[in-house]
Amino acid sequence: MPNGSAKNSASVKSADAAAYGVLAVISLYCAIPFLWVFIASVDSEPSQFLAWPKEWSLQNYINIFARQDGFLWIANSLIIVGSATLIVMVLGGLGGYALSRSHGWWRRPFLYTIILIRVVPPTALIVPLYKVLLTANSVVGGIVRAVMPPDLVRPTMHIFGFIDGYLGIILVLAATQLPLALWIMKTFFDTIPRDYEEAAVMDGATLMQTIRRVLIPLALPGLGAAGLFAFIIAWGDFLMPLIFLSSAELQTLPLGLFRAYMRVNQLDYGFMTALAVIYTLPAVIAFGFARRFLVQTFGGGVKG
Amino acid sequence: MAAIELNGVQKSFGTVDVIKGVDIRIEDGEFAVFVGPSGCGKSTLLRLIAGLESINAGEFLLDGKSMNEVAPDKRGIAMVFQSYALYPHMTVAQNIGFSLDLKKVPKDEIRAEVEKVAEMLQLSELLDRRPAALSGGQRQRVAIGRAIIKKPSVILFDEPLSNLDASLRVQMRAELQRLHQELAATVVYVTHDQIEAMTMADRIVVLKDGEVAQSAAPIDLYKRPANTFVGTFIGSPRMNLLSASVRRSSDGSVEARADNGWVIVLPDGFSAFDGDRIKIGIRPEHLRLVALPAAISAKVSVVERLGVETYLTFNHPKGSIVARLEGDITVKVGEQVGLEVTENACHLFDSSGASIQSG
Ligand SMILES: Nc1ncnc2c1ncn2[C@@H]1O[C@H](COP(=O)(O)OP(=O)(O)OP(=O)(O)O)[C@@H](O)[C@H]1O
Ligand SMILES: [Mg+2]
Repeated sequence: MPNGSAKNSASVKSADAAAYGVLAVISLYCAIPFLWVFIASVDSEPSQFLAWPKEWSLQNYINIFARQDGFLWIANSLIIVGSATLIVMVLGGLGGYALSRSHGWWRRPFLYTIILIRVVPPTALIVPLYKVLLTANSVVGGIVRAVMPPDLVRPTMHIFGFIDGYLGIILVLAATQLPLALWIMKTFFDTIPRDYEEAAVMDGATLMQTIRRVLIPLALPGLGAAGLFAFIIAWGDFLMPLIFLSSAELQTLPLGLFRAYMRVNQLDYGFMTALAVIYTLPAVIAFGFARRFLVQTFGGGVKG
Repeated sequence: MAAIELNGVQKSFGTVDVIKGVDIRIEDGEFAVFVGPSGCGKSTLLRLIAGLESINAGEFLLDGKSMNEVAPDKRGIAMVFQSYALYPHMTVAQNIGFSLDLKKVPKDEIRAEVEKVAEMLQLSELLDRRPAALSGGQRQRVAIGRAIIKKPSVILFDEPLSNLDASLRVQMRAELQRLHQELAATVVYVTHDQIEAMTMADRIVVLKDGEVAQSAAPIDLYKRPANTFVGTFIGSPRMNLLSASVRRSSDGSVEARADNGWVIVLPDGFSAFDGDRIKIGIRPEHLRLVALPAAISAKVSVVERLGVETYLTFNHPKGSIVARLEGDITVKVGEQVGLEVTENACHLFDSSGASIQSG
């Protein structure tokens, strides 16, 4: 063994070099589309091909906000996805706690049923879901028309409507993300010994104090991970907003991007790529914030 | 400050009876230890006292006042958990002061109290650290600090030393005893380590399958076990048990004929008739070697030489016997040796295992 080590390390080195070479090519292949998107977005005359800009320009970004409804789309996306994420975190936290601590017979069937819901392709759910939401929407519509002056009915329905309203799309997105969050939080609470809560009870903490001062801090990594997944997946969802939102006032970023692509007569690469960059950023930022939660959640729970 | 009284306490989880009618009395200021095999209900009993579980039947009195319906934090009882349960997101000082903080005690007062407790436990240097940055023994002390800052009249410990290594355990044992003296609180301590129980306790409560097998001072437990369970549970190596028949002669002498052939002369003063089946308990340290020929002789099966003492095992189809002999004994495996039982050292039990000794 000691005799062969020089030769061995030489062959290890060349094997390493080959591996790195292959990986570098693959990475480049994966990175080029992103590179193209970014470069094209700051090119004054972008084309379909990766090319170094003749002239750098932020005009594409300015266009999104000045000539199109960029701010509105971002605001809509953030409101809808942010609210859905918040709902998922609250319900996922409470539900995950209950699922972890309860000994009820319903626990297992429940957990497998909700994961089954995730198995059904969302596209297959559109028609029944639309039916359900339409019914709910007409109920809400009836109430709103009864209590609101006629000129306020439309704006109110934009908030509380189940079809073409914030509430509907928020609930749909939250509902689709909740199963995963429940699983994550249930698993996470399983790793937190009951002793923590019981020690708090012995110290005289009320239920609210136990939740706020003990459980939430302990569960924060799990909540961060669950929220991150919910945010990223909901942020990337295109189908649900497309089906359930139609008013111009409610358009979200992916819909804006889609509509720009659909303008058949002139394909504006600059506009599209700039929008793509803006669309990508929040997810990347969210990931940056929540990365350490992910490591803690999937790297062994609470320590100490 | 507080005497504990359990009267006919029962607890079941679903259809499983875990505590089956327990009567225990622990005097004010006593250091009481619950011992028993795994799953016998030690932790459950402790949690009933703490109020973390509700009592199904019977009564728990603290200084004569029923505590059955009193909330855990209103009982004046503190508990140290086996896992310590230190909050990882709080510093040592915040952990210790948590109960005062919940009561909205002013910050500077909390700080003063925390420092007092920290000094008592040699934690003063560590107050700003997180639990993750502490050693096992230090975490243990923080957990104790969190309990004693409440000035409880009763402190409950659930196997507090089981996560520590052997040398630290000896050190913490001494420290806990010192604290008990200083605080003058009643302590209930759960362990399955009989050395811990024997060295620390004023009173040991031996539990078996959710019932009290015996509750007494450590040395009484050793000298006068109420049944074979306690007899074999306390003491190491465990007490030898021999099944035997009683022979009462017309001249008044009594002897027991064990199934393995041993004949042991017994002093009278126990309740058994001629021909009764009994169990004789002989502690390994109450056997000694004598020259052959002797009343009892046996063939050595295993020799364990520890230097300061020697264990000899005598295998027999009717049950093996272990003798614990002082000093280094050089006998060989297979050798036939003579044995003698120390006078008055036999423990006598009836066939159900209950002691039949009168004095
Ligand atoms: N919450 C519960 N639900 C159902 N059964 C329980 C519960 N808590 C304890 N038990 C059962 O009660 C019995 C006694 O448990 P307990 O924890 O009191 O034992 P223990 O004497 O402390 O054992 P150990 O030495 O292993 O800690 C066990 O059989 C256990 O399975
Ligand atoms: Mg236990």
